[in-house]
Amino acid sequence: MSSTTATSGLSRARRGVAPGGSGAVPGKRKSKLSAQTTRTFFWLLLPSVVLLVLIHGYPLIHAAVQATHDGDLLQTGNFVGGENFASVLSSPAFWKAAQFTLWFTIVGVFGSWLVGLGLALLLRTRIPAGNTFKVLLLLPWVVPIVVSSTAWNWLVATPDSLIPSIFRGLGLGTPLFLADPTLASITVMVFKVWVSFPFMMMMISAALASVDTTVYEAASMDGASKWQQFTQITLPLIARSTYISWILMTIFCVNDFPTIYLLTGGGPVSATTSLVVLAYRTVFQDFATGPGVAIAFLMTMTLVVISVILYRQIRKSSVE
Amino acid sequence: MSTVLHAHPESGPALGIADSGKTRKVLSEAGMRGRWWRFALILAITVIVLVPIMVTVVLAFTPGANSTATGFTFENLANVFNGTLAATWLQNSLVTTLSTVLVSVAVAAPAGYVLSRGRSKAVSGYSLLLFVMQSLPIITSVVPLFILFAAMGLVDNLLGITIIYVGSTMTVATWMMAAYFDSIPISLEEASWIDGCSVFGSFTKVVLRNSLPGILSTAIFAFLLAWNDYLVAIVFLRSNEIFTLPMGVQSFFQQNATDWTSVMALAVVMMLPPIIVFATLNKYFSVGGIGGSLAGR
Repeated sequence: MSSTTATSGLSRARRGVAPGGSGAVPGKRKSKLSAQTTRTFFWLLLPSVVLLVLIHGYPLIHAAVQATHDGDLLQTGNFVGGENFASVLSSPAFWKAAQFTLWFTIVGVFGSWLVGLGLALLLRTRIPAGNTFKVLLLLPWVVPIVVSSTAWNWLVATPDSLIPSIFRGLGLGTPLFLADPTLASITVMVFKVWVSFPFMMMMISAALASVDTTVYEAASMDGASKWQQFTQITLPLIARSTYISWILMTIFCVNDFPTIYLLTGGGPVSATTSLVVLAYRTVFQDFATGPGVAIAFLMTMTLVVISVILYRQIRKSSVE
Repeated sequence: MSTVLHAHPESGPALGIADSGKTRKVLSEAGMRGRWWRFALILAITVIVLVPIMVTVVLAFTPGANSTATGFTFENLANVFNGTLAATWLQNSLVTTLSTVLVSVAVAAPAGYVLSRGRSKAVSGYSLLLFVMQSLPIITSVVPLFILFAAMGLVDNLLGITIIYVGSTMTVATWMMAAYFDSIPISLEEASWIDGCSVFGSFTKVVLRNSLPGILSTAIFAFLLAWNDYLVAIVFLRSNEIFTLPMGVQSFFQQNATDWTSVMALAVVMMLPPIIVFATLNKYFSVGGIGGSLAGR
């Protein structure tokens, strides 16, 4: 960190908030304070930087090494260049997992957004005990996935579970929610939406809370229909937080491990194997460290690019 | 945002106030009926959504297949605590989670302060770095860390997973603290600087002292992340007596998949602490942590 930029930063921040104060501070005292400020900032940031290097920086570099070697969990092995990447990129399992990850993410993001939006709009109107419902509806997000996946297992796993029994009772046959590849994919995605919609609901509710309701009164007086009010007022007002919540949920979905692994283990016949599950299995079940890390590394690179671009855009939109 | 809100600062409210009293009276009867319809709708949705959680709780207190008890029973809970290492797992989870919360806040608060007050390129670059790091899959770090920790004797060790939890909560926690510090006016600090306080002094005495809500939201975030983690635990923990609850519940479930009442009793043990935290502190709860911070900054 360069000392001049940091100190001028602080004084600029101070000037920004309290314009009257900046002129009153004598130049000499200010520069003394500034040098001291930089030193303080350095020490305040140090633990965070150390942890970031140890837990994020070092592993990333080491992962790059592992992805280009044919070693295992005990030794690095020989340098093989891009061989692991080539074998990963040419394996059908990788592309199948990539495809599942894509669908899982699309359904996870937009499914939870639609449910969250609907509930946020409903809860915004005056409803008896509305706040209690708001709190209760957050529970799927709070309850550990280990617990909720167990409960979902009890509900759907075998032909005699509760939900298949209800289907049978209604004369709809006995769906094998976790044994049929297509149904298992759908079940995992529904589970993900169930886990994630409270996040969306909370984000949208927070954005809606800052909307002045007189805007709607004015609009309805101008003859705007409910649908027009929704598309012309509500959606634009929650656009920024919607955008942020889509980005974050995309990251959550791509990186998700427990939701999938605990409900289906990636099966049946790898139908619900996402990239993270594939990477985990390749390293810790097939003991192919190089290819497994290569998969994780490809995901990482993609996410770095995506998140830098998106971060820039969020920042830009916040300046506006 | 604010520009949109006040697009018609003069015309809007003036017209609105004149009519609002009348409209409200006309609406009230239809409005009341609408309220109860919406109440019924949200009640139905909530019940359906909570089925998995209710099922867990009901089964946990239902007598098992070999039980002579009827109705409500604590037998399953007693069996789980007597027959498994549930008490150890609970203790392991509590120790790792609470240490994660403490260290994570202790690291994130000062770093968040720098992110909030500093305006240099280095600081905003660090902020971007934190954002990128939090978006990366933990699986990438897990394999190299496994090798490193194996050499240091930190595999199958609670300290090992605690370090990883602190590392992975710290990024978002720093963002959350920074977003909260943004809301504390710098004029408060300036007053203390004039009184001869150092920057560090104003950080601890002025900023931190006024940041309890921000610290609590950050702590809740770290608590949930560490308590609920499964991926790090499944990679790093090997022995039964070092398991945290997610591993305990999962291994017990795999061995006793048909003994649902016991499985659910253990699940309730695991679910209870986050629900207690959530119930007592839910006004400080911010979903997803970084979501609110990004929206706010």
